[in-house]
Amino acid sequence: MGYEPTLLSLLTLSRRSAVFARLPLLFVCAWLISGLHTQAQIEVIAHLPHATRAEIMARAEKLAKHTWVCGAPNLRAACSKKYLSDWKSGQRVTGIPYCWGGIDGPEAFDRKLADGLAAGAHSRFGVLKCAAGIDCSGFVMLSWGLSSSGHAYSTSNLREIAGKPKYNVFADMKPGDVLNKPGSHVVLFTGYNPDGTISVCEASSSQARVVCRKATWSRFKGYISLQYKGIDD
Amino acid sequence: MARNSRVFLLFLLFGLPASDAPNGRPELESDVCTIPLTQVLRIPISTLGAPATAESLNVAPATLLVSTGAADEPPWGPSGFDVLDDGSLLIADPLRSRVSFFDSHGEFRKAWKIGFAADSLTVTAKGVVLVREATTGQLHAFDREGKALPTEEGTLPEQAEARVLNTKNGTIRRPAAGNSQGGLLEVKFDRPGLTLVSLEALAIDQKGDTYVALETSANGDAAEGINVNKYVRRYSSDGKLLCEIADIPLDYYISPVDELRVHKGLVYQLQTTSSEVRINVWDTNQLCSRSSH
Repeated sequence: MGYEPTLLSLLTLSRRSAVFARLPLLFVCAWLISGLHTQAQIEVIAHLPHATRAEIMARAEKLAKHTWVCGAPNLRAACSKKYLSDWKSGQRVTGIPYCWGGIDGPEAFDRKLADGLAAGAHSRFGVLKCAAGIDCSGFVMLSWGLSSSGHAYSTSNLREIAGKPKYNVFADMKPGDVLNKPGSHVVLFTGYNPDGTISVCEASSSQARVVCRKATWSRFKGYISLQYKGIDD
Repeated sequence: MARNSRVFLLFLLFGLPASDAPNGRPELESDVCTIPLTQVLRIPISTLGAPATAESLNVAPATLLVSTGAADEPPWGPSGFDVLDDGSLLIADPLRSRVSFFDSHGEFRKAWKIGFAADSLTVTAKGVVLVREATTGQLHAFDREGKALPTEEGTLPEQAEARVLNTKNGTIRRPAAGNSQGGLLEVKFDRPGLTLVSLEALAIDQKGDTYVALETSANGDAAEGINVNKYVRRYSSDGKLLCEIADIPLDYYISPVDELRVHKGLVYQLQTTSSEVRINVWDTNQLCSRSSH
């Protein structure tokens, strides 16, 4: 049976030719758009504050070792009737409390605590403006020295200010790098242990504050290592 | 003819990659006894969404409570567990500030109201239940009936020191205990394409057998995300590898603090998924006793 062109096949062919004819144009557009994106990224990176790894670790340690006392007013959140505190009145706590959406350093946190804001909050109570503390990405931002940019970055867009290093994650990470799972959680790497596990610092929702601890790799399955673009190595 | 070409093309597309899957486990050494998953205990969960209320914390006492979390806040719930002498389980239920008890079939039996969120549980050789407070890290000691004990009782058992020497070798420094004289245990992991990443001493039993958890990886370049495999091995007191567990699932909805526990030759894993809490059990006794004789 021979091939007989139908109206439909001719139309299909002409559409295909049109698409092929426009391919170079599409490539040029894609190149231009990617160029613009790179330019925007360059702008962001150019304005990033620079930090040494020692400075990053010192900031992280300050957030993890900050000691505060929970007063009775800090057990309640004026803007939420459903709020339940993680703390007890008069309890002395080490580590800035976990607060979903928060990015309070020690000074800002102490000020808000004195003003009677709630000490920490979880996502199950919603975003609370009447609570003070820090979340996982807020902790990484403050550790990297991005205190003046508000909570501009989350685990989902941290990649804009942090690159993917081409190294062996089990041997070559350096203190101040992070392990990030977009949309979920991010931790600051602080070192390898002799047993092959790692030490990290993080704003932990389960431990309700900034903590530093040892962890096995299985906890970070699916995480990606990132390096701050403003790092001074 | 055209059909044959399509079949060949399909084989090229799907057949070849499947036969050389990067995450596939290589053949095990022939002399290692591999333990299959023996039992899975399934414990139902209740899910706490947003917004949470005090009332929602008190639903369905026979379940364990899980918070779904949100962007930049991982889910939370049961992360700590241990096993009692009779094989029953205690699991931390932190969102309800309690410890729940389940029999060896996974049936709910009772709960202790402890008044704080716990993230780790340890039953000591003396039978003391040590409960770690999640928000402070403080250990609280309880007797078998749930009565609080003086804080002096709250000391975790000493853990054997582990060390990774290179990508294939490590050591465990075993303390003398029971019938075991202790000493250095050499751990070798030599599988094509896999490297040893970490070592952890899980337990040393009365016979002096040592249970070791190994993390390995096929790829250190984690551009697409970190990927590790986990194995548990049982070594005799004289350092002979008796058996291995190689099918430990690591797809956690909630990262466990107490990931693995060992009791009377049974290895237990706490795996909280989005629909239930699973206790995966491997029995190293029968197969391993055969291979060790």
